[in-house]
Amino acid sequence: MQRAVGSLPLAPALRARLVAAGFQTAQELLETGPCGLSREIGISKEEALEALQVVRQECHGDAARTAGGSGATRKCTALELLEEEQAQGFIITFCSALDNILGGGVQLSKITEICGAPGVGKTQLCMQLAVDVQIPECFGGIAGEAVFIDTEGSFMVDRVVDIATACVQHCQLIAEAHQEEDHLKALETFSLKSILSHIYYFRCCDYIELLAQVYLLPEFLSEHSKVRLVVIDGIAFPFRHDFEDLSLRTRLLNGLAQQLIIIANDHKSAVVLTNQMTTRFGQSQSTLVPALGESWGHAATVRLIFHWDNSQRFATLYKSPSQKESTIPYRITSHGFRDVQPPAVIENAEDTELNPRKRPRREEEK
Amino acid sequence: MAAKKLRRAGLSEELCERLSRHQITTCQDFLCLSLLELVKVTGQSYYNVQKLLRKVSRACAPKMQTAYEMKLRKSVSPSSAFLSTTLHGLDKVLHGGVPCGSLTEITGPPGCGKTQFCIMMSVLTTLPVSMGGLDAAAIYVDTESAFSAERLIEIAGNRFPTYFDSDEKLLYLTSSIHLYRELTCGSVLKRIMSLEEEIISKKVKLIIIDSVASVVRKEFDVKLQGNLAERSNFLARGASVLKYLAEEFSIPV
Repeated sequence: MQRAVGSLPLAPALRARLVAAGFQTAQELLETGPCGLSREIGISKEEALEALQVVRQECHGDAARTAGGSGATRKCTALELLEEEQAQGFIITFCSALDNILGGGVQLSKITEICGAPGVGKTQLCMQLAVDVQIPECFGGIAGEAVFIDTEGSFMVDRVVDIATACVQHCQLIAEAHQEEDHLKALETFSLKSILSHIYYFRCCDYIELLAQVYLLPEFLSEHSKVRLVVIDGIAFPFRHDFEDLSLRTRLLNGLAQQLIIIANDHKSAVVLTNQMTTRFGQSQSTLVPALGESWGHAATVRLIFHWDNSQRFATLYKSPSQKESTIPYRITSHGFRDVQPPAVIENAEDTELNPRKRPRREEEK
Repeated sequence: MAAKKLRRAGLSEELCERLSRHQITTCQDFLCLSLLELVKVTGQSYYNVQKLLRKVSRACAPKMQTAYEMKLRKSVSPSSAFLSTTLHGLDKVLHGGVPCGSLTEITGPPGCGKTQFCIMMSVLTTLPVSMGGLDAAAIYVDTESAFSAERLIEIAGNRFPTYFDSDEKLLYLTSSIHLYRELTCGSVLKRIMSLEEEIISKKVKLIIIDSVASVVRKEFDVKLQGNLAERSNFLARGASVLKYLAEEFSIPV
């Protein structure tokens, strides 16, 4: 209640007048009332009422915060967070080695960045994730929808059709093997048409459209509350050319990163970004590093770098708060993103009962 | 989209006046500022500015479509999704041919046949749809002066002798391929930017740029300091315009 007038989110002209009239705290404002306020400062009664409502809202927010209430603030104990994280699902990538190094798959409420040279498989992984996020819960997925923001134009619907068909077949195989009621029911809704209808695609041609789209995302996500994945394919492309003012670029990127963190947390969805690589010239040699500079490196929580090594693709977990750095090979088949060799899986009936989220992985023949 | 004037985005007149005093006239300028700057410049409260931001964003943001709608659109006209190269093996690997609506890059050492391939594709574009072509014109931007009209006629005559049996057809073929000789980076970029109107007026369905690397390597020496940035700038700008043209008109580039 003792909040200074200068810190309230009112229009600057109004604030200047209030301070000039001698008001110092929010309490004084509320005591005066709209009519008194309008008389003293010389604004209309409607404006005064509006200003008071804003002040009241702010103060209630403040009071709730100091009283330690939930909702207005995001304070909670680490134990609650632990329970939340354990119950949270992951978005699997169909490549079990990659899932292992990520700790189960792409995490929700976190920003994951995928960097790599052109042609190494970043867009493929994004398309795979957009399909995988929709896997029903009884098969080990999280039954969510996906938003795909494309800045490079590399989204091919036919490829998504291939990936989705392979995914549906995979689930059908599992359902046949286990013959459970809910599996079959889930399969009815998990079809090619439903998968494609739940991928919301936006094509942004330049950075302004990208910024505008990210500003509008919270609204979109509250309307479509089942969205659990936001993919921005090619966050580097619109920012890499035509930008003379590098400080503006850094500012915009930081703002974008903050928006994305808020979106990831509020809507419990995973945010996946793809980045390009750029060459950094050292003293004697040059190395490939992720583009957009050092300050952008802080935006993502988890960073994956894809690279080639003698015609074999590798994925390195470069930055992660909970997993250690490791490199695994992967390959891209006509079905999508897969392991290099079939993983040794022991199909244990007990296992599936104890942990219905983890379904046995099976490598099918191409 | 970015250069859209704020007035057309639905903001009130007086607000636009006020913003133009600070040199903010387009959506681009508006969205580039941070929230606090916007509060200062518009003189409105924090919540109002957020609402304004959403309004302006809605004016700029792209339309949403689901992947399913895209697939339906493609399946409605399956033949227009790809331009077949008439090389059976290549078509199989490319899933149908050169895809319409995206950029395809052909690279290789000198003398392996890139220009010949491009000439071939231009011939194919002018063929009627029944023969696997697009029945339309082609634009050929030549930076190496490697295009030869005689070779064009030779290819057409030998590959499709039954179709190109009359002089008339050959005349039609040659008049539908528009050749532009550009020798510098700047002129290539200018030409690419001016293509939009040409595509509509001349009913063009294929754009060939032969070749990007030659003109770039001539002008930009990578060892010099500033040139790398300029070169990437030029390439990226050209690429984004070409991508936009390819997608907007659904044609192969």
